[in-house]
Amino acid sequence: MKGLELIRAAMALQETERVPWVPFVGVHGGFLTGVDATTYLCSSALMTAGISKAIELYHPDGIPVIFDLQLEAEVLGCTLKWSAATPPAVISHPLAEGKRLSDLPEFASGKGRIPQVLETTRTLREKYPDLALYGLITGPFTLALHLLGTDIFLKLYESPEEVHELMEFCTGVAGKMAGYLMEAGCDVIALVDPMTSQIDPDSFEEYVAPYATRIFSDIRAAGRLSSFFVCGHAQQNIEVMCGCRPDNISIDENIPLDYVQEKALASGVSFGGNLRLTVVLLMGSADDARQEALACLDHGGKKGFILAPGCDIPMETPPANLEAVSELVRDPYQQEVARTLETSDHRTALLNMNDYGQSDKVIVDIITLDSESCAPCQYMVEAVKRVAPHFEGVVEWREHAIKRMEGVSFMSSLMVKNIPTICIDGKIAFVSKIPPQGQLIQAIQQRINEKLKLKIRSKRSEILIFGETEEVCRELNETVRQASLELGKELRIATITDRARMAAFGITKGPALVTVHYRLKCENNLPSLDVVKEWIKEL
Amino acid sequence: MTELLQKLSECVEFGKISLASPFPPQMKGQEGADEITRHLLDQGASPQDILTNGLMPGMERIGVKFRENKVFVPQVLMSAKAMNTAMVHLKPYFLTGEARQKGTFIIGTVEGDLHDIGKNLVSMMVEGNGWKVVDLGVDVKPEKFIEVLKEHPGAFVGLSALLTTTMPSMERTTKAIKEALPEVKVAVGGAPVTREFCDRIGADAYSRDPQGLVEYLNGRLED
Repeated sequence: MKGLELIRAAMALQETERVPWVPFVGVHGGFLTGVDATTYLCSSALMTAGISKAIELYHPDGIPVIFDLQLEAEVLGCTLKWSAATPPAVISHPLAEGKRLSDLPEFASGKGRIPQVLETTRTLREKYPDLALYGLITGPFTLALHLLGTDIFLKLYESPEEVHELMEFCTGVAGKMAGYLMEAGCDVIALVDPMTSQIDPDSFEEYVAPYATRIFSDIRAAGRLSSFFVCGHAQQNIEVMCGCRPDNISIDENIPLDYVQEKALASGVSFGGNLRLTVVLLMGSADDARQEALACLDHGGKKGFILAPGCDIPMETPPANLEAVSELVRDPYQQEVARTLETSDHRTALLNMNDYGQSDKVIVDIITLDSESCAPCQYMVEAVKRVAPHFEGVVEWREHAIKRMEGVSFMSSLMVKNIPTICIDGKIAFVSKIPPQGQLIQAIQQRINEKLKLKIRSKRSEILIFGETEEVCRELNETVRQASLELGKELRIATITDRARMAAFGITKGPALVTVHYRLKCENNLPSLDVVKEWIKEL
Repeated sequence: MTELLQKLSECVEFGKISLASPFPPQMKGQEGADEITRHLLDQGASPQDILTNGLMPGMERIGVKFRENKVFVPQVLMSAKAMNTAMVHLKPYFLTGEARQKGTFIIGTVEGDLHDIGKNLVSMMVEGNGWKVVDLGVDVKPEKFIEVLKEHPGAFVGLSALLTTTMPSMERTTKAIKEALPEVKVAVGGAPVTREFCDRIGADAYSRDPQGLVEYLNGRLED
């Protein structure tokens, strides 16, 4: 199923083959193409390039054209302060500075940066016909706050008519903007109204619901889909948001996904979210991002859920983190690996692997999810199985399936990060890719040679011959030399006539013979106490 | 008088500003913070008593309700407005030193951050709890914080940031303050800020809601 179809199905609450993925790329598109936020948000060519790059890297099912909640406010006369790494901020509120609604500039498609946004939309529409293009509009309450400032909160109680009049005006602007975006080719209109998170459900019902409902109804009448984005602590308003009849609601990490799922599905509305933006996507690793995405997928389920970040992706989010999410969402096998690791995490005792692989045989370990149920794991195990007989008992192999605790602790102990992985004598040799037979044989042979070398190097023996005088030792000395000659074994032979040393060996009368074996037990590593004890027992 | 103080605290808690104000509906037609404060002063109540036993308990109750998601920004702003109406009558006494505030709290959003709703709420809550608040506004440079801190020895300072992108600025500001004035206690807050971040940048206090900061400040007072 293609992206747009998948999103349509999810919003229609149909079970989908996989969860659709919509990364909210805003100024992050500028980061991907090497331009600052200000330059990016003012240029159609740069936004097209940024979003195209994001599509190439993150393989989304849907993507916003632009994420800038100041666009409409700018047209209506709010002053913006621009920054290099974030969307601009509104710094003046015309209605708080004495202007009336009738004084505000006319809102039309040719004003401000709207032409650039529409051009970007048209270009992307043509380039990516199968992708769901999201057109974002500033929600009426947030726009009202841009125009009036925080006085709006007091006016909810002190001047209700004035607030209604303002909301009516902002709804008109939102309707126009939605119309422009739909005409330019957007499939989904997202009404983004984060400031509603600051009010209670009663105020929401009175001042937001009638207006938002009207906008969603108009979008539906135009044959397009709608989404209601609210970030922040908006848990109290989820039910009233659903009551506005959008096709979807999207929330951030401040609200638990299962709470939203319950409320949204009960109202027949699809839902989306809520990858953590800063702690995970911006500051975390690709592994963190995978775990986070998995948690969302497992909570969201395959019915009516769209995986998305909580809000606009921070500009400098490492692309690798978003790529990890995009790979995971399409790969049920990766999901299972991540799921298994997550459940066993933190409960594993690490094994002491310092002396691993010191036995005579070469040990090949294959870390798998489970070769019976996972195809790549099965091929990896078979590759080893085929090769082992070539070495006639010198090579021993074992599978460690991480579905069992033993496998997980083995994996962590060997510091293996990917599944499947082949380790030879405890060292990671092949990761994820199944090695061709020749390469595998070569790697094992190399290890056998290494061990052999070590063995040869490590052996040294001596024979000590004791006697009160050289004369006493002479015959024994000759016998030993003859024996060494006949055996072909190089030996160091020492003759000792010092009585004190004889006594130290417990010898009372010569000739006497002592054999000495030196064996190199470890090199360039510190053996544990237990291991040293074992060596001592051998003596 | 105790009854009047109790009434005043309810006006603050529910945001009842004056007789004329329509909010909240259940207190319509009743006197508000404005009238009741004047009655109290007329009857000889001390400004200190009005602040400590009338206004502060009301602000504290709304602060706790806000923390527990029982009320939201608009209700807190109404409470703050009721309190400010009362403070208009009390300010002259504080200026003459006849009544005393607990201490001084300097607040602002860090350089690069222009979002002030959270900062304003904190500022109102702290003021409502009997502290003198010096609000430096938005986009405040580290040097400005230091300059004002020097003018108010013993003051605490609060830094606010809403954006993840201004968190590094919060770190720079904290470090600059600590370097210039090591004894000053720095509190940080705002949507993306966490306890972990607070510890990492060497700030002294973090709270996820304004009431938590009030409790921290009052706690330092008792030290």
